[in-house]
Amino acid sequence: MRTFLLTLALFVSALAAAQVPSVTVENAKGEAFDTEALLEDGTPMIISFWSTSCKPCIRELDAVYDALPDWLEEADFRVVAVSTDDSRLLAKAKSFAEGRGWGEDFVLLFDKNQDFMRAMNVSVVPHVFVVDAKGKIVYSHTSYVPGNEIELFEAIKKSSK
Amino acid sequence: MKRTILLLVSAAFACISLSAQEGGYVTGSFETTDHFYFDDEKTGAMSPEDRFGSNNYLKLDYYNGKFTAGIQMEGYLPATVGYPSELSGINLSNIYATWKDDDFSVTAGTFYDQFGSGLLFRSWEDRALGLNNAVMGARFTYNYKDVVAFKALWGLPRFGMGVFTNNTKNPLTVTNTETQVRGADLSFALSNLLGWNSTYLALEGSVLSKYQPISIDLIDEGGKPNTFGYSARANFESEGFFAKAEWVGAGDKYYSNPDISSGEWYLKKKGNAQLLELGYNGRGLGVTLTGRRLEWMDSKIISGNSSTSNMMNYIPAMCTQYTYMLTTHHPYNAQTGNIIGSFINPGEVGGQIDAFYNFRRGTKLGGKRGMRVHANFSTYYTIAEEGTAKPGNLLFRDFSLDVERQWTKQFKMLFLYSLQQYNESYGANPDYMTQNIFVADLLYKWTSTFSTRLELQYLQTKQDKKDWMAALLEVNFAPHWSIFASDMFNHGSTKVHYYNAGVSYAKSRTRVALGYGRYKAGYICSGGVCRNIPAYTGANLTVTTSF
Repeated sequence: MRTFLLTLALFVSALAAAQVPSVTVENAKGEAFDTEALLEDGTPMIISFWSTSCKPCIRELDAVYDALPDWLEEADFRVVAVSTDDSRLLAKAKSFAEGRGWGEDFVLLFDKNQDFMRAMNVSVVPHVFVVDAKGKIVYSHTSYVPGNEIELFEAIKKSSK
Repeated sequence: MKRTILLLVSAAFACISLSAQEGGYVTGSFETTDHFYFDDEKTGAMSPEDRFGSNNYLKLDYYNGKFTAGIQMEGYLPATVGYPSELSGINLSNIYATWKDDDFSVTAGTFYDQFGSGLLFRSWEDRALGLNNAVMGARFTYNYKDVVAFKALWGLPRFGMGVFTNNTKNPLTVTNTETQVRGADLSFALSNLLGWNSTYLALEGSVLSKYQPISIDLIDEGGKPNTFGYSARANFESEGFFAKAEWVGAGDKYYSNPDISSGEWYLKKKGNAQLLELGYNGRGLGVTLTGRRLEWMDSKIISGNSSTSNMMNYIPAMCTQYTYMLTTHHPYNAQTGNIIGSFINPGEVGGQIDAFYNFRRGTKLGGKRGMRVHANFSTYYTIAEEGTAKPGNLLFRDFSLDVERQWTKQFKMLFLYSLQQYNESYGANPDYMTQNIFVADLLYKWTSTFSTRLELQYLQTKQDKKDWMAALLEVNFAPHWSIFASDMFNHGSTKVHYYNAGVSYAKSRTRVALGYGRYKAGYICSGGVCRNIPAYTGANLTVTTSF
């Protein structure tokens, strides 16, 4: 057990800033989309993992959607909403996002077998990340209660400076 | 033995740590769900022998350029009540290494994948269900530009504790199952080849060969351990209109014959399914129409085991999956074909229509802050005649309407109505239960960081346990704390209260939740798949973190 704990300590000390891994998901058209392509734009982004059956996820994305016009006056960034719905709800998730107006302002991605979710080590949704212009994850938060978006905005403002 | 596993894991950690310092990075997550049970005379809930259940997951991934490797350890000490019984003890359940280049990738070890919508094949993990049928083997993928995507895989699907057993002297013995899958999937984006800009059209196909040991009796009757399945698909999208079609031939299936007077112990059936999705997304409107027919579509990893985790394909219920307490009493589970005594139902046929509309801000109905409306109608039937789509008895029907409106900057309201009709006999007889459910969900933001949410629910039915009512109050102190208390009361018949209270704390990537309550027997559903759980009363602690 001592050996295990020592190596675990070594492992933790080796943690470096995580990045956005290359995983194939779907875009709104149903085409294959490599998540590495998100970095090509060179601007910071919020990546939010959500699902149609997750009420707090929807509240968080609605809060971001409502605040977005004001936020964009202070910082340059994109919002990427990643649906973790299975193929059963894939079509529904697309209609759902459209019915909430998210398609106009967010980059919509669909991770139907949760490959991107697993690669980002997201255990439960909602889970939100802030990624800087170089692709480094600089902020991350799990769960949502109204008001959490204030902290999220502070993080994206800091990363876009 | 545990020492050997710890040494192996330590060595893996050390290698990863040393190489991480040379440019790669490590991420991971840890999750624990712990229950402490009490006996409860009111609900008949019995605590297990040691009154404790604990499900634990540790996942580590190492990334370095095009190379990725990782492990997952699981510990069920023991598993929480209602979890699949094959999950017990501590084990290294997943281990993999992947090289992902620009146009190809190779994976060795455990992996998850699916063909099309998963009707033919899907391996995935769902911890809410206790399901993890990761395949231990190898996978190769190849992409030619954005036109062709090909993948081929081989492996042993996991059932139980995974690849490395802790039941023998050798911890590296492969003990998944004897079942093997070999498959290939091809997607051809015709529109990208032809340079169409506003239209996407892809033709896709999969094949799957499955080896599953069978009994000598079945071999004597002509049964074969190898089955062959295929899936043909088309995906179309243009200017917001979309269409998706899938045709699956799942190969031969064998079922115990309830009538052995014919001299045959087994019935041979051909598995097949058809799925069609049509819809439009645009201008604040989202509409999806789904039709699906299933016939003998179950696909087990091992035969003769009814565990939720014993599946190699994905057959979800295609209807609304609710989360409010009273809307989930009788969730629908898709019927893949069953034989109950003299009743033989080959599967199900049905569909759903989903419509979402966003009344924009400033319009007459949208008001100052907009209004969102969603309606769903789902209906499913048994198949009256094998080989046809002729509907038999009603299995499930649901009509729901929900309206969500932000009245003021502080106050948001959601109202939901659902009419659910559910056949408890899986379609063996035409009787069904009807229930009307009403939900009001009221959120009020008192300050920018302090909010309350109140749920009021009512279920009306003349059948089963008659009427129910429920309420939930949640008090949120952003950014960290949330407290809730709820009660679900069956005032129509049993007069039992199902109370629940809890507190959660979240900071950065960590969330800790502590609760206590009484839970009714029923189903836990996730992703359209449901698991039956017994009633239990107790305290629970959940910690999730990632790094």
